[in-house]
Amino acid sequence: MIVFRLLVLLFTLWMTGPAKAHPLKLSLCEIEYSSKKQLLTINLKLFLTDVNEAIVFDPNSKKLAFCQPNESKKANALLLNYLNQFFHIKANSKLVNLKIKDKNLKGEGDNTSLWVSFEYIQPSPLKSLEIKNAVFTDLFFDQNNIVYVHVDKKSKSLMLDKKRSIHQLKF
Amino acid sequence: MFKLRLNYLIIFLTLSLIVSCNKSSNKSVAISEEQLIQKALDIHNRVLTLDTHADTPLRMIQPGFDMSERHDPRETGSKVDYPRMIEGGLDAIFFAAFVAQDIRDDDGHSRAKNLCLQMIDSIVTSAERNSDLVGLALNPEDAYSLESEGKRAIYIGIENGYPVGNDLSNIDLFFERGVRYITLVHSSNNDLADSATDPNGSEHGGLSDFGSEVVKEMNRLGIMVDVSHGNDSLFYDAISLSKAPIIASHSNARAITNHDRNMSDEMLKLIARNGGVVQLTMLADYLREVPPNVERDSAIAALRANMKQFDEMTQEEQRSARNAYQELNIKYPTPAATVEHVADHIDHIIKVAGIDHVGIGCDFDGGGGIEGVFDASEVMNITIELVKRGYNENQIEKIWGGNLIRVFKEVQAVAKKIQAQNI
Repeated sequence: MIVFRLLVLLFTLWMTGPAKAHPLKLSLCEIEYSSKKQLLTINLKLFLTDVNEAIVFDPNSKKLAFCQPNESKKANALLLNYLNQFFHIKANSKLVNLKIKDKNLKGEGDNTSLWVSFEYIQPSPLKSLEIKNAVFTDLFFDQNNIVYVHVDKKSKSLMLDKKRSIHQLKF
Repeated sequence: MFKLRLNYLIIFLTLSLIVSCNKSSNKSVAISEEQLIQKALDIHNRVLTLDTHADTPLRMIQPGFDMSERHDPRETGSKVDYPRMIEGGLDAIFFAAFVAQDIRDDDGHSRAKNLCLQMIDSIVTSAERNSDLVGLALNPEDAYSLESEGKRAIYIGIENGYPVGNDLSNIDLFFERGVRYITLVHSSNNDLADSATDPNGSEHGGLSDFGSEVVKEMNRLGIMVDVSHGNDSLFYDAISLSKAPIIASHSNARAITNHDRNMSDEMLKLIARNGGVVQLTMLADYLREVPPNVERDSAIAALRANMKQFDEMTQEEQRSARNAYQELNIKYPTPAATVEHVADHIDHIIKVAGIDHVGIGCDFDGGGGIEGVFDASEVMNITIELVKRGYNENQIEKIWGGNLIRVFKEVQAVAKKIQAQNI
C-alpha cells in the first residue's frame, strides 16, 4: 500500500510540479527616426511560434500562413488586433496609427522570426517618444522585449517586460 | 526521458528505504545528508566561484531596474542581482554586453558599436554605484582581491563580435573599456565567423579572414577568444590559430545532449590539448533532450476542439481562451532540466578532457536557469551535487573558477610575449 501511495505521489509530482525551466523569451523592436526624411520607421522582430501562440493559441499553426502564397486574408488584421493591445508608439504624445508596410520571415524551424515593419510620417521635429512593448507578456511571465531607438544617428537601447512595459524618451 | 524516469526510480527506492527503516536509522540518514550539505556549503564558501556568462546587462538597460535590489525571478524572469549573488555565494561573474544582430553594413556596425559601448557603460556604472558590494575586475587576480575585501568581482565580456564590424581598432577600444573576452559570433553569421545556428549554413567555412585578424589582435591584447555559438569549423579554426588557450564561455557536451551548440568529444580533447576550458551552461535544451509532454498536448487539443474559430471570437473571448491555454501550460509544464543533468555533463567533460578543462557559465538572463539552479541565489546546489558525486575541494575549486583563472592568466602571459616581440 505504501509503495502504491509513493508511486501515486511521485507520478502526481511529475505530472503537476511547478514550471522550473523556461527558454529565452525575447522580441526585438527597432525604431528609427530621420528628421531629414521626416519619417518614423518601426520594425518588430517576433518569433513566429510566439505570434501563432498569441493569436491562434497554437505555436505551430499553419492557418495564417504569414508571408506564404496562401497567407490568410485575416492574417494582418488579426496580427494588428493583437499588437494594438500590447504595443504602441506615441510620437510627440500622439498615438502612431500602426499600418503594416511590409512583413517577411527569416530563419527556420523554431527560430523562424516574423519581421513586421511600419512607417509613419512625422513632419514636426521629434521631441518625444512613448514606447509600450508588452508583446507576449500575456503568454510568458519572463518575456523580454528589447527596444533599439535610433534618432538621427544617436542610438539608445532599453528593455521592457511585463512589469515595466512603457517608457518615454525625450529628445 | 529514460534518464528522468531513472531519476524518479532512484527517488522512489530512496524514499522506500527511508520509510522501511526504523526511527533511529532514519535520524542517522538525515544527519549524514545534513553533514554532506554542510561540507558542500563550506567548500562553496572557501573556493572562488566564477560564472563566465550572464546577459544581465539587458536588465541594466531596463528602466528602473536596480541591481542592488533583490528581484523575484518568478515575477519577470530576472536571474541575477547583487543580493542574489551574495545569497548564492557567487563571487565573480562575467557580464556579457550583447547586441542583437542587424544589417551587416557600415550603418549597422556603427549602431551596434554604439549600443555595445552603452551596454559596457551600464555595467561600469552599475559597479560604481554599488561599490560597497562589487568591484570592476580587469585581471585574473582581481577576483581574489575583491573576494578578500568581501566584494563580488564584475568582469566584462562581449557576446557576438558583430559590434566589431570591420574595424580591427575596435578590439583595442573594447579592451580599454574593460572587455576581457569576446564571443566571436552569436546565432547568425557575422563578418568574423560562422554561427552554429545560422539557417543559411556556413558562410566563411569557420573564421573569415577578418575574423582571423580579430583572433590575432585578441591574442595581442590579452582578450580571451570565446567559441561558444560558433559552428564546428570556427572551433577548429580558432583553436589552431590562437596562440593562447581558448574558452567556450557557455557550452555543454554533445555526447550527453546532441545539440549543435554543444561540443563533441573530439573538440573536448582538443580543448584539453590547447589548455583551454569549457564552461557548462544551465540552458535546459543543451542539458537534456526535451521530453515529450503528451498530457499537455492532449489537454490543449481538447481545449481547442471546444473553442470557436479564433477569428470569430470577441476580444474578451480571446482573452479568456488565452487564460485557459496558459493554465494548461502551468498545469502540465515541460519536465525541467536539473542539477543532476549539469553534473552528468561535468562528469563527461572530465572523463574526456580532464578536471582542468571544465567550468561554469550559467547564461542567466539569457535563457539559463533550471530546477535547483533557477537563479544566482541557487548556484550552491551545483557544489552540493558535485560533493554528492564524490568531487573533492581541490577539484571543485578548479571547476568553479580555478580553471578559467588559469586560462585567463595564460592569455595575459601570451599577450605580454607578443607585445614584447613587437617592440
